[in-house]
Amino acid sequence: MKEQPDNTITVLMMGNPNVGKSALFNRLTGANAVVSNYPGTTVDYTAGKLIEGHTTYEIIDAPGTYSLEPHDAAEKVAVLLLDERRGDVVMIVLDATKIERGLYLAFEIMEREYPCIIALNMTDVAHDKQIKVNAAGIQRLLGIPVVETTAISGEGVKKLAGAIRKAQVADMDAIRKRLEGSGEDRDETVPCPGCGGCRGCG
Amino acid sequence: MLKTLSTLEFGETGRVTEIRASRHELNCMGLRTGKKLKMITRQPIKGPVVVLIDEVEIAMGLDLAAQVTVNIE
Ligand SMILES: Nc1nc2c(ncn2[C@@H]2O[C@H](COP(=O)(O)OP(=O)(O)O)[C@@H](O)[C@H]2O)c(=O)[nH]1
Ligand SMILES: [Mg+2]
Repeated sequence: MKEQPDNTITVLMMGNPNVGKSALFNRLTGANAVVSNYPGTTVDYTAGKLIEGHTTYEIIDAPGTYSLEPHDAAEKVAVLLLDERRGDVVMIVLDATKIERGLYLAFEIMEREYPCIIALNMTDVAHDKQIKVNAAGIQRLLGIPVVETTAISGEGVKKLAGAIRKAQVADMDAIRKRLEGSGEDRDETVPCPGCGGCRGCG
Repeated sequence: MLKTLSTLEFGETGRVTEIRASRHELNCMGLRTGKKLKMITRQPIKGPVVVLIDEVEIAMGLDLAAQVTVNIE
């Protein structure tokens, strides 16, 4: 990942609405956040600083979106922030109780070859609902750091901050091969012909 | 028995067999072929139609729901 001359690395937080992006953002940045209006829109986004070791990160909390084909103005701003490479690193935030839905966006971002890390948030809710999430398995499969967090208690946030510098560009071919190897991506009942490591053929 | 999603009764469950609309639109919400779903709400005229998939509620217009085929089990 490239560092700007002043040693600041920008981190763009992306995720579906309501996954806890802003709660995580607040935990990461504390009380120094600045709200900006995206030019030409009525959409605001928030940026703040995180100092971790000797590195200063500028963290940007993008509006929530379900995909990179925007449906409304807020989603469009999220996609523009990504397109403009406002993040040296993209932090993909997933709701641990709704992983499959969030992975759609995650794969779209990974395909664009940004250095990424994943925050698997809402682990407390997943635990309460007895949803077991194999974070280590997802990390192995995707080849990018995956950190479990609970934004409201702050659990995992320090680890997440430390993992930013380990961000990786996902190797989509390698992911596809690992999926084909394990066959774990298949739904039990309906095979998915013709696409290889599929992320959801209609 | 095959039905379009727009005709599913409240509480009925089934598995998605075909999506004729832009897949992207529904896939990014977690609705894709092979997924099991349950009808939660179906408002007349334009919708919304709300279904439950993996304990996540997904809302769409009636038009879009009409382009999804579901196999009732
Ligand atoms: N239980 C629990 N609630 C969370 C967690 N993270 C966020 N929330 C709550 O989830 C809701 C949505 O969070 P928010 O940060 O606004 O989500 P955003 O839309 O992704 O920015 C808020 O009520 C948060 O307090 C978490 O890890 N655990
Ligand atoms: Mg927010």
